[in-house]
This record gives sequence, C-alpha cells and structure tokens, in this order.
Amino acid sequence: MVKSVFEGYPRRAAVRLVLLLGATGILLMVAGLLGAITPFWAAGAVLILFGVASWPRRTVAECLSIDETSPAREEPARRPVPAGGGSGAVDPSDTGGLVKQMLAQYRYVLLLRPQIAADLDESQFAEALEALQRQMALVPDGDVTLGPVDGVWDDVVPGGESPRAAGPRVVGVKRFFLDRWPVTNRQYFEFVAAGGYQNMSLWDESVLPAVLDFVDRTGVPGPRFWKQGCFLEGTDDHPVVGVCWHEAVAYARWVGKRLPSNAEWVKAGAWPVPMADGGRAERKYPWGDDMDRSRANLWGSGPERVVGVHEFADGVSVGNVYQLIGNVWEWTHSDFHGGDHPLGKLIFKTPMKSIRGGAFDTYFNNQTTCQFQSGDGTLARKRNIGFRLAIGVCDLVLDHAALGKAHRPAEQQSLPAAAGPSHPEDARGEEVRA
Amino acid sequence: MTKGVIQPLESYRLRQYAVPIHCYLCDAENTCDAELCSHCLAPMALAHQAAGQDVQPCMIATVGASSAGKTVYLGMLMDMLSCLPSRVRIVARGAFSITLQQNTAGALSRRLFPDKTASEPDRWHWVHCQLRRPDRSEPIELIMPDMAGEAILEEVDHPHTYRVIGAFLRKSAAVIALVDAISLQEGHRDHDYFTMKLLSYLAELDTDPKTGWCRRPVAVVFTKADQCESCLEDPVGFAKSHATGLWQQCQERFKRHRFFAAGVAGAIAYSQSVLDGNVDVPLRVEPRGIIRPFEWLLDEIAEDKKRK
Repeated sequence: MVKSVFEGYPRRAAVRLVLLLGATGILLMVAGLLGAITPFWAAGAVLILFGVASWPRRTVAECLSIDETSPAREEPARRPVPAGGGSGAVDPSDTGGLVKQMLAQYRYVLLLRPQIAADLDESQFAEALEALQRQMALVPDGDVTLGPVDGVWDDVVPGGESPRAAGPRVVGVKRFFLDRWPVTNRQYFEFVAAGGYQNMSLWDESVLPAVLDFVDRTGVPGPRFWKQGCFLEGTDDHPVVGVCWHEAVAYARWVGKRLPSNAEWVKAGAWPVPMADGGRAERKYPWGDDMDRSRANLWGSGPERVVGVHEFADGVSVGNVYQLIGNVWEWTHSDFHGGDHPLGKLIFKTPMKSIRGGAFDTYFNNQTTCQFQSGDGTLARKRNIGFRLAIGVCDLVLDHAALGKAHRPAEQQSLPAAAGPSHPEDARGEEVRA
Repeated sequence: MTKGVIQPLESYRLRQYAVPIHCYLCDAENTCDAELCSHCLAPMALAHQAAGQDVQPCMIATVGASSAGKTVYLGMLMDMLSCLPSRVRIVARGAFSITLQQNTAGALSRRLFPDKTASEPDRWHWVHCQLRRPDRSEPIELIMPDMAGEAILEEVDHPHTYRVIGAFLRKSAAVIALVDAISLQEGHRDHDYFTMKLLSYLAELDTDPKTGWCRRPVAVVFTKADQCESCLEDPVGFAKSHATGLWQQCQERFKRHRFFAAGVAGAIAYSQSVLDGNVDVPLRVEPRGIIRPFEWLLDEIAEDKKRK
C-alpha cells in the first residue's frame, strides 16, 4: 500500500490538509467540466487522487487499541492559582479571610467543628453548611452486613474486643457524611499548594522517612502521575490517583475529615433496609442487584482510563453518592487481612489497607460489588486507587442557633490559623455485633 | 458351537479408513477416527476443521519457562477478545477451544490462579478460533496452544522429545515469548537464559541464510509486570537492565521484535499450601498490556502476507 505522504504529521492536521486538497480538486473538476477546460478538470482529478492516496491511515494497533497504560494527555496543566491562595496567604487575625480561604480549600468541615463554629457569624456558618450539603451525603445510622473474614476482624474493633468465629457479621454504623464524589485533582492541588507535604504534623511519625519519596514524575512533592507539582492538562475533575494510603490520611487530616471504614463504605453503597423479620435488604450495587456496566467506568464499559468524577452519573447510590463503583478503587481506613478469600488466611509482604469499589480496569463483575473487598500496601501509589472522605455527624455542629459558647473549651475559642490536624478516625462511630 | 451372524459390510467406513488424514502440524498420516496425531499428539480436530473449512489457519506460539504465566496470558487474551465487541474479536472453533478461557477466567474470578499446565501434550488446551478485525473483511483462522513450560524446555534442550512442539514452532507465523518480570527483578537469571535458549532454537528454525535475520516476528512480553512498576513503564529499559542476554540476542538475530509488559493481578498475596509451599493469590483482576503484543503481531503477520 502507498505510504501516506503525511506520515509523521499530527493526524488531525494531515486530515485537514487532505480534505482541503480534495475540496480544491472537486472545485477545479466542476469548474473544468462546466467550462470544458481540460487542464482544470484534469488538475482537479489529480488533486483528488493525490488526496485519496495520501489519506493518513492508522495502523491497526492505533485504530483498535485502547490505551492500556497512560492517561490521555501527558502535559501538565497550566498551574492553577490555588483557590485558597496557598499557605500563609491570609492574615491569621482576619477571621473572615480565613473562613473564605478554608471554604475555597474545601476545608468547610473544619468550620463546622464545635470549637470553630462558635466563632463564625451566621452567614459564614451557613456558607460552610451549604458547602457540606453540596459536597457530602448523609448516610443514616443502622446495621450493615460485612462478609466473613476468616476469624480476623478487618475493622478496628472499638474497645479491643476479641475476634469471633468466621461468618457474615453485622456492624452498627452511626450516621455520618460521605463525600459525594472521590477527591479530585483540583481539590488535592490545594493541599499540595498549601504545603501539605511539608507540614509534618499531618503525617504519622512512622511514615515521615517515606514522605520525601512521595514525589511526582518530576521529583516535586505530589501524586505520582503529576508533573511539576500539578495535575495533567484536562484532569482537574478526575479523581486524584497515584496517592498512597498515608497521603490520603494526611489530606484527610488537613481538610478535617477521615477515611471511611469498611462498614461505612459498604453502608453508603449497599444502603441496607431493615426488614420485618430482623434481616436487612442490601444492594449488590448502588443502583440495585443487577450489574449494569453502563452505570460505572469498568473494564469494557469505559475508555479504560480514569474519567471525571461527574461522569457515569447513572451509577448514583440511593443516598446520592456517585462513582462508588468503578473509575478508581477507594482507600478505606480499615486493615485488609484477605477478606473472604477461598484459600482462607493469606500472607502479605507488607501490611495492607482495604480498598473498595473497583476501578476502570476491573475485569470481573463479582469484583465490583459493594461487598467485595481488596487490598493494597499502605505505600502503594497506583494509577487506579483514589479515595473519598467521611466525617461523623456527631463531630459537627449543624445548627448555629444551638451553639452555646459555654460548651467551648477555653483554649480552643480562637480560630486556629493553620487549622491544625485532627485525628477523627480515632473516634469512629462503629459497633460490631454478632 | 459357534453361530453365524450377518455382518453388514460398511464399505463407506472402509473407504474412510483408506483415506489417511494428515496431521495439521507434522503432516503424519492418521486414520479418520484418531483424536490425537499418532506421531506428535496434536489434536486431529485441527486437521478436520482446516479441511472442512478449506482454510489454512495461522499459528501463533506462546512460549516461556514454567510459571512464566502462559496459561493466564492466553486464557485472559482469549476471554478479553471474545468479550470486547469493538476491537479484535474472536469466535471459538469447537467447544475444546473455550476450555482454556473458561478455566482461566473461572479461577481468576475466584481470586485464584489456574492450575499448572500438565507436561503431557494430550492434556494441553488448544485454541482454534476465528479472528475478525473491524478494518479487515476477511477473518483469520488462528491456532494457539497452551503448552507446558517444562515440555518446551525439554524440546529445546533435547529436540524431538516433544515432536508436537517442534512441529508447531516450525509452522508458527509469530511468537509471543513470555518472561517472568518479578523473577528478573529479583536478580534470578533463569528466565533470561531460558528465553535466550528458546529464541536461539527459533532462530535456527527459520533464519534467512542471506541476511542472517530470523524472519518471524517475536513479541517479548514481561509478565507479572503489575508487581514491577518500572517494567510496566519502560519494558525496553527493563530488558536492557535486567535481561541483557535476551536483549542482545533480539538485537542480533530478530529483525522484527518488540518488548512489552503485561499483568493481570492488581495485587498479590500468598497462601501456604502443604504441597506447594507459598502459592500466589491474586487479590483482584486488572488485565494490563495483554492485547497490545497480540495486536502488534497481527499487524506484522498482515505485513508478511502483503509481502508474499
């Protein structure tokens, strides 16, 4: 076959050139035929033939292959101005400015903490509350069934209860808010721009030596697939990926939230409904019990890469939480011991944390249910693992009028400038039942 | 006392027996009711199907050391191509062709790796399928067996031990050579040496005497690359640094070769087995880089056909 003369040129540009040639050729031919001018229509025919011959063909691999390894574009985005102005941009004594900065940095939850909410005026409080309602969904309290765990509880059991026999177990979950969408690149950028990787108080002491290694492709602190401390062009609303469990926890501390537990995550997706006989009706998928691949970005149903958090909106859960299934796996707070693996107890090279929900490359339907659990090392920074965050209702003030200043601890009455880290996962509202 | 019985003379059977069926791989003569070739043990169904459809199936060999991941690679490739409607699509020829993908997908969906392939050729899974591509009107008939690594090694070291392997490699239009990336990363050179031996064997089979180049396209695929990020990101660099001998041999003898990386499991754990020691367990299935080497080989085979 004749090689395209435009081989090596960008395909779009080559197509345009060929179309231009063809159009000119047709015009010449028509003009030549109408005016019976032989050179005109002959030149037109030659141009058309040349255009057809040099049509930029793709190889079969280009035509058929779906990009299995890399994101769509590799250029870093033009560095956005941090909505919060970066670290130290606001005078610490300027409460109004601090509130605006925190709202812009998606740290509204901190503003609704009892210690801080009391210092806000009504409009500031209303803004924070509106941001909470816009960004997070309320999941009511109740019981949820988790799969058998082969004698090892894969959740932290409050009070250090001893493990019980294997088999499905019921976990009581207190009401909580869960992010409607996974944390996006744009949201995570605020954390990076505010010096989150340099703020050692956000990180566990045990992981501090590893933090220096949490860099992007250009060696700058940030998620693994970013460049120059910034996400790639056109991926601002994509879930942040290439972050390990510790980075997710550090970000959660910075915004005043926490990672959800296994039980909380399953409760938000399976949405259990208590039955008259004492049992519960739980969904396999957020939309029901039947797999419908068009509702989630999974292998074979999407472009085989991470997409924006607002796509695949049909997969929304009863409680209006999006993309629980598909697009990216989500880190949870819980340890992973192998779940209900048919071979029983598993051995891991490194400690693992539980991930849930499946990703754009998850192949089997039975590995994309709300109940399915997988795991990965706490330092794994993979292209298909992101996270979303939760916060217990009991940790927040939701009614400004009910705020009593007398309840505030004296030492916390002023608004902290850096909104220091909180460790809300220490107070998770879960109760394990037989 | 013996009784006389009337035995109808089924002359059509005699006629069938009188006409030998040639094995598709080694051309040995077999009777019409033979299941396996009496000479090389290849399934005679391939010959029957080829004769019935009057086409010459194309053969692609998937080779590699024991536990390199041949069964998982082939099984997943077949399953992915038979599920995805818009890409290269395959339709199995005969029920036996589905067994490999059934075993592989069934095990992986239960988060287990499929059983090891037995060394005996009569227990191997053969895939005969029809392959369609959106840009080509003519379908391609394709044969791909899942051969045991031990048997391949034996045949390479001692030719004619497994005639079916020799016959198949001689006839195959392209080769996918699988190499365990984790083993290489850990510094074990066994897979490197084995693949060098294998490629050397292949080169001896069809080197062009004028140019000295081996004519066949070879896709070298580093498997289990999901556990080895550097390999996934840069298979060529990985080959240069971890499989130097293999890299050199490809440069010297195979004009058409390319390095790829593939993986199936998102994460791995281990289970202790009394018989097998530590057994790898996939924690989830996320195929990556499986189809690309195959597509590249198809393109190369198409180029070959054009040249001819």
